[in-house]
Amino acid sequence: MEKSREFNDILDECLERLVKGGTIDECLASYPELAAELEPLLQTAMAAKKASVIQPRPEFRAKARYQFQSALQAMESRKSRPFFGWQRRWVTAVTVVLVLLLAGGGTVAAASNSMPDGTLYPVKLTTEQVWLALTPSSLGKAKVLTKLADRRVAEIVYMANKGNAQQIEVITQHLDKHLIMIARLVSDQRKEGGTFMVPSEQAGAGNDVQIQANDRGRLRIMIARYAINHPAALQAALEKSPDSVKPALRRAIAVSVAGYENALMALD
Amino acid sequence: MQDEESLVRRAQQRDQEAFAQLYEGYFDKIYRYAVLRIGNETEAEDVTQQVFLNALQSISSFRWKGVPFSAWLFRIAHNQVVDYLRKKTRQATESLDESLVISKSDPQLVVEQRLDTEQLILATKRLTKAQQEVIALRFVSELSTAQVAKVMGKSQGAIKALQHSAIVALRKALSVG
Repeated sequence: MEKSREFNDILDECLERLVKGGTIDECLASYPELAAELEPLLQTAMAAKKASVIQPRPEFRAKARYQFQSALQAMESRKSRPFFGWQRRWVTAVTVVLVLLLAGGGTVAAASNSMPDGTLYPVKLTTEQVWLALTPSSLGKAKVLTKLADRRVAEIVYMANKGNAQQIEVITQHLDKHLIMIARLVSDQRKEGGTFMVPSEQAGAGNDVQIQANDRGRLRIMIARYAINHPAALQAALEKSPDSVKPALRRAIAVSVAGYENALMALD
Repeated sequence: MQDEESLVRRAQQRDQEAFAQLYEGYFDKIYRYAVLRIGNETEAEDVTQQVFLNALQSISSFRWKGVPFSAWLFRIAHNQVVDYLRKKTRQATESLDESLVISKSDPQLVVEQRLDTEQLILATKRLTKAQQEVIALRFVSELSTAQVAKVMGKSQGAIKALQHSAIVALRKALSVG
């Protein structure tokens, strides 16, 4: 009994070494008197350890990460909305007025075309937040975010040409957030009663419902178009970009593929 | 990974960055565990996603009372796998999908490793549930004996004995082919 416990301890010590990258020979050298008994067991353990090279598919990894983040943000939103939602809207409305007063309409217009390395880029982002905050419905916000996602992709392609991997990573995070929000907003809109109806079902429904259904259909067409165009544009950028930005671009592609797929699933 | 205890505490306070770090730190390990226990990549993907969604929903109930976070997370994974296998009506010993990703670029090596992995999955099906569990946790997800003991709710001595018997049984199963 005691002997077998001692052997199990030695075997475990050797296995721990193997898990941490050690070799069978090293272990056998430490316990030459047990080598004959240990060797076949350690070889089998090494065979089992080979399965530790299995990795998730990159598409699955991106999709799972996206869904996890969506769930995380949905929980966050459910927690904070009842108490502070109105406050945030007021803060944003005040910001709008300040931006318009301080920056002036011309500056805001010029900022809308600026790129992340431009001095007006922060104005562009602030204006976008204002635009989003002032858009009343969930569906309207989803539409704004879809347009913002289009801007983010253009910015990623621009920064790829500049060879700036760090900026690509930052903008990709923004893109990811936009796409997560789109999926959430269209789901919320459905729960709020804006269920998409096929034309024959709409005959007896009110005008509001019909308008919502049409808006939802138009949004779906826009997202479906971007779901093809954006990954294609990023892929084209990947093919002609320097090696230093390729990993960041690959992440951007994975985010756009998974993000649009989820948005379309939420719309269906 | 940053000090796990502080990460978990931050995650419990809905710190998204902390959640993300925990997720990234355990994602591959949980996935590999699910692949070995289930033997099918697509279904292992579903189980892996569900594990993290369950963890997200219940992390506020997690307490550091001698149970490390890894053990708590793998217990969720274990329950999810058991639940999945119970619900499954057909045999779980299908071969792995063609799309199984092995982290090497040499095609010859990839083929060899896929065969090794398939062989291992088939061989583990001949083991008892406890032996399968210890092989998956110890060698595929690379947990320590102490962590495996916490996941399985046994003493470290019992796990060492179990891993010994599991390796002997696996050796036999592999030699039978």
